[in-house]
Amino acid sequence: MVRKKVPEWLNSTMWSTPPPPSSLNDDALLLRNSPSSTKMSSMKKETDTISVTPPPSTASSVPSPSPRPRRNGSSSISGEYGNSSSSVVAPSSAEDFSRQAHLSAELSKKVINMKELRSLASQSLPDSPGIRSTVWKLLLGYLPPERSLWSSELKQKRSQYKHYKDELLTSPSEITWRLVRSKGLDNYELKSGSRCMLSRSRITDEDHPLSLGKASAWNTYFQDIETIEQIDKDVKRTHPDIPFFSAESSFARSNQESMKNILLVFAKLNQGIRYVQGMNEILAPIFYVFRNDPDEDSSSHAEADAFFCFVELLSGFRDFYCQQLDNSVVGIRSAITRLSQLVRKHDEELWRHLEITTKVNPQFYAFRWITLLLTQEFSFFDCLHIWDALLSDPEGPLESLLGICCAMLVLVRRRLIAGDFTSNMKLLQHYPTTNISHLLYVANKLRSKMLV
Amino acid sequence: MVLVLALGDLHVPHRAADLPPKFKSMLVPGKIQHIICTGNLCIKEIHDYLKTICPDLHIVRGEFDEDARYPETKTLTIGQFKLGLCHGHQVIPWGDLESLAMLQRQLDVDILVTGHTHQFTAYKHEGGVVINPGSATGAYSSINQDVNPSFVLMDIDGLRVVVYVYELIDGEVKVDKIDFKKTSTSNSAP
Repeated sequence: MVRKKVPEWLNSTMWSTPPPPSSLNDDALLLRNSPSSTKMSSMKKETDTISVTPPPSTASSVPSPSPRPRRNGSSSISGEYGNSSSSVVAPSSAEDFSRQAHLSAELSKKVINMKELRSLASQSLPDSPGIRSTVWKLLLGYLPPERSLWSSELKQKRSQYKHYKDELLTSPSEITWRLVRSKGLDNYELKSGSRCMLSRSRITDEDHPLSLGKASAWNTYFQDIETIEQIDKDVKRTHPDIPFFSAESSFARSNQESMKNILLVFAKLNQGIRYVQGMNEILAPIFYVFRNDPDEDSSSHAEADAFFCFVELLSGFRDFYCQQLDNSVVGIRSAITRLSQLVRKHDEELWRHLEITTKVNPQFYAFRWITLLLTQEFSFFDCLHIWDALLSDPEGPLESLLGICCAMLVLVRRRLIAGDFTSNMKLLQHYPTTNISHLLYVANKLRSKMLV
Repeated sequence: MVLVLALGDLHVPHRAADLPPKFKSMLVPGKIQHIICTGNLCIKEIHDYLKTICPDLHIVRGEFDEDARYPETKTLTIGQFKLGLCHGHQVIPWGDLESLAMLQRQLDVDILVTGHTHQFTAYKHEGGVVINPGSATGAYSSINQDVNPSFVLMDIDGLRVVVYVYELIDGEVKVDKIDFKKTSTSNSAP
C-alpha cells in the first residue's frame, strides 16, 4: 500500500508497543503520587487495532448519592511505554499533577485568563471534584472571568430560571387556583357545616379545560402533552447503566425530574425547534457534572446552571436540529461534508477507500457523532474528557468536533482500509474503545497541521 | 390534575337525537381521564361514544336504560376525593336535597353525583357536596319541559376541586365555575 500521504508521526513505532505485562501495573501504582483521582489510560497496541483494556467493571458502579464520584471512567492503570517518549504519547503522571496544579492556580485568580484556561482544558481536565464543573461554566460563558462578579451573576441567572419555571411549567389547575386566591374569593370548605347552594361564577375568558381557544392555558397544556411525553420517555432512557440517572432511588428520580424540567422549559421557550430526541443526551453530561459538584451551593442549583449552559452549548448546534436547514450551509449535511473534506485532506487514501471504494456514506456514522457530540460513541466518563476539549475551543465546539471525528477515522485507518462496506459500517457505528488522551492528541495535531 | 366528566340523562333516542354539536366539538378524546354518567343514556351507541372520549367510564342505571347490567349506585375514589354515583329516581322525593344528603351519608362519599331532574344543581351540606349535571342533550323530564343542555367537568387537583359547568343557553355555550376544597384526607363521618 502506498503510504506517502500518511504523516510520518502517525506511522511511527511508538504506536506499536506490545501490551504491558500486568505486573507492571502494580509498579505503576507505586510510582503514582498524584493527589487527584486522575488515572491514566493504557494503550495496548496490536499491529492493526487500537484498543485499551476495557474499563474495569467498577467504572459503572460510581456511587451516585455521593457528590464526589471517583470517576474511574475508561482508565486503567498504565504500564510504562517502554520508552521515554511518554511525553509525546500522553502526559505522564508527573505532568498531569503539574497540569492540575496549574489549573487550580488559574482558577483561583481574581480574573481568570480565559485563553490560558482554554489551552489547559483542551488537553482534558483532571477528574478531581469541582474543577470540571467550574471550568465548564467558565468555558460556556455562564460565569464571567472576573471572580467578583460570580455571585451576582449566579443569583440573577438562577432567579431567571425560577421565573421561567413558574411561568411555563405551572399546570392550568394551579393557575386557576392562584387566580381564585388572589381575588380573595377563597372557596368553599367541603365539610364546613353550613348548607347552601354553591354559587357559580361565570367564566368569560375562555379558560376552561375543554377550551379550544388559542389563548387558553388549557389548550396549550394539552398541546404540550405530546412533547412532555416524548421528553419523559427519552429522559427515562438516558444512560440506563449509570445510577445517577436511572437507579430506583429518589436521587435518580429527582435528577430525572430536573432534566425533564430543563428540557421542557427549553422546548417552550424555543417554539422553533421545541424538543428533538437527542437533546437529552447533550444535557446529561452537563447536568451530571454540575450536580456532582462538591460545592453545596452549586450542586443545589445544578438545574438552573445546567439549563443556561445547555442553551449556550446548543446554540452552536441549533441548526442541526432543524429539519428544514438540513441541506443548507449551516445544516447537518454541510457539517458532514466538511468532515469528509477534512479526512480527504489529511488522509486521501483512507478517504478514497471509505467513500468511493466501499461506499460508506459519511452520513451513516457521522450524523450521530456530530449531532450528539460523541456522547454515544464512548463511555460516559470518556465523553466528559472529550467534552473538555470540545468546550475549550475558542472557535466553538464544532471545529474541535470535526477534528476529533477526523482523528477517530484516522486512528482506525488500518482496519478501515482492510475492511469492506459491512465491516467498516460495523466498526464506525460501534467505535472501539480508545485512549482518549491519545485521540485528543491526534486531533490536536491534525488541527495544527491544518494551519501549516 | 384529573379531569372528570359528569353527565347523564341523555335519553337518546327516545327524547333527543344526540348531544348538541357544540358540546360534541368540545368533547375530544385525550383530555379527560374519567367519565361518570348518571344514567338514562339509553342505548349502547351512546355508551360506545362515551367510551371513545375516555376509556374509563362509570355508569349507573337509570330507569330507561336498555342495559340492565348497570349497577344502581357506584362509588369511586379519584385523587383525594370519594365520589358517589346514583341516577336519582330511587331517591324520593325526586331532587330533594335532604334525601340526597341521606344517600350521600349512606354511601360515605365527598361528592355525590345524581341526575334524573334534568336540572343542574350544586348543593353543599355537612356531609359533602351534591352535584346534578342536568341533561346533556336537553331532553324533557316529567318535571320540566324546557331544559337547557348541560354537563359538568370536574378538575380534581389534590385537595381542591374546580367544577366547570357547561350549559347551552340560546345556542351559546356558557361556562361557569365553582371551587371548593377539602381540608384533610380523613373522611370518616362524625
